[in-house]
Amino acid sequence: MPAAEAIYRKGFSVKGGDFAKAGAAACEIKELLKDLGLDTSTVRRAAIVAYEAEMNVIMYAWEARMDLTVSPEQVHLIVDDRGPGIADVELALTEGYSTATAEMRELGFGAGMGLPNIKRNADVFAIDSAVGRGTRLDIIIRTNGHVRP
Amino acid sequence: MNDKNFHAIHITKDKCIGCVRCLSACPTRAIRVGDGKARIIDQLCIDCAECLRVCPHDAVHSHTTSFASLEAFDYKVAIPSTVIYGQFGPTVVPNEILSALRRVGFDEVYDLSSICELNCAATEEYLNEHPRPRPYITATCPVVVRIIQRRYPSLCGQILPIEPPREIAAKILRTILPKALGIPAEKIGIIHITPCPAKIVSINSPATLAKSYLDGAISIRDIFPQILKALRKSDEDAMMRHLFPETLFSGTGMGWPLSGGETRGLKSHRAVAVSGIRDTMRVLDEVEGGLLQDIDLLECTVCPDGCVGGPLGVENRFLAKSRILELVAAAGEHAVVDQKDVSRLYHKNFLSFDHPVTPTEPRPLDGDPAKAIRKAKRREKIIVDLPQKDCGVCGAPDCRTLADDIVRGYARLEDCPFVKTAPKEKR
Repeated sequence: MPAAEAIYRKGFSVKGGDFAKAGAAACEIKELLKDLGLDTSTVRRAAIVAYEAEMNVIMYAWEARMDLTVSPEQVHLIVDDRGPGIADVELALTEGYSTATAEMRELGFGAGMGLPNIKRNADVFAIDSAVGRGTRLDIIIRTNGHVRP
Repeated sequence: MNDKNFHAIHITKDKCIGCVRCLSACPTRAIRVGDGKARIIDQLCIDCAECLRVCPHDAVHSHTTSFASLEAFDYKVAIPSTVIYGQFGPTVVPNEILSALRRVGFDEVYDLSSICELNCAATEEYLNEHPRPRPYITATCPVVVRIIQRRYPSLCGQILPIEPPREIAAKILRTILPKALGIPAEKIGIIHITPCPAKIVSINSPATLAKSYLDGAISIRDIFPQILKALRKSDEDAMMRHLFPETLFSGTGMGWPLSGGETRGLKSHRAVAVSGIRDTMRVLDEVEGGLLQDIDLLECTVCPDGCVGGPLGVENRFLAKSRILELVAAAGEHAVVDQKDVSRLYHKNFLSFDHPVTPTEPRPLDGDPAKAIRKAKRREKIIVDLPQKDCGVCGAPDCRTLADDIVRGYARLEDCPFVKTAPKEKR
């Protein structure tokens, strides 16, 4: 475990339906990881995960907290939302499955790639969802020591 | 010359009064003001020329090729950007402009519209053969290539590896002319004429070629008076060009300098065109976040409305655009370039990059990730102490950038005029 001072923590709050700020938290996370000197592939994976997770909140949930913890070894993201929850998690993790409305699809979202894409880019992926309460994603992306010299 | 830190954009110290207009205009926050003068940080500058556009004191200049320097060549060839056709009134036809350029002093002048059409057809073939990744991003705008190298390194592999029309045209001419004319290749000067300050950067330090096929770039603004003079002196020539047009213009290629023009000729692919530096960055952020994968080709040009909005043009871009649209309509939809020629050149890799685009050296807060994390935390704390007014008085464009400069060791907290006085007033 790295010393506590070598762990970076930051929380972001995301509001459901706030399309005007869509991607703002993910962008900030991405810029931060670049500043920390993490390798390009880790940054890209984390950016995709953060973007998809943030978009899921904006499209489906009421509000969420995104908690980012970064150490030289890993990027840890917890996205805890208050929202409708997912009835069938297994199904939601199937590529191409989506409950997006026609309007969302019009905006280019809802291809049913969100959760599968997050899972694919994560080294550790856990999902916990309850209908009527919300969904919690727990994601770890390891830097695999591919840290820039 | 292939210097990574070569830049077209420079600040003329004598003229700079140290105001803060360029600070906030710079999309990569590459400018600082110190000792009363603006200074550009080379590693951050992408030569987009936003500072040149906003400077009220004419203190930002771009290095372009001077006409006088072409004396070194025995044979001078011009390949003007098709933006040039929109710079003169509605009665001046493209053939007259090309002819006027010959009288200005070029031995030969070639239209680029057919090569633009060729590039579009080659792009279509490339997309057909490469179903992944998506979206590909066009490489025409040198600033887009440079911003990807610096800020979106993970997208380097998504730049579509077909050279832009100006380089393809120069390569073709450089291959054919020495033999055809019996003049040594190095004595033939091939010059681009452009409204864009960044083309000289892509010529002097190419991102995808061992060496550019062009010898220089003259700005439309610099050569405009000479073209105008040549046009005015030649009523008879104008009549000749109207009655006996010699060049066949491509409608598809003619529209190339307007946003969406590069992709308009695609037949079976979904394309999106973005223009303007800030919108380009917003969309690239989305692509880096994994969005837009249902788009085949993303055309980004950092000047508003496309190259027609380049800062070194003369005619305002709205009139220029209107004139070019007239010319596109007049030229019609028919193909000027033979698809067989496109295929032949494409499969010989004649149109390809020499090498892929590679990221530039990253700029983390510290080379040691643990130290970088500490610095990032310190930066957060400093940001909270700063007034968030983004006034620029400290010399940085905004409070966040000052905090960044402080943890990198380039600035001090005392540089902020509000931090100095705050304890007396408030606490």
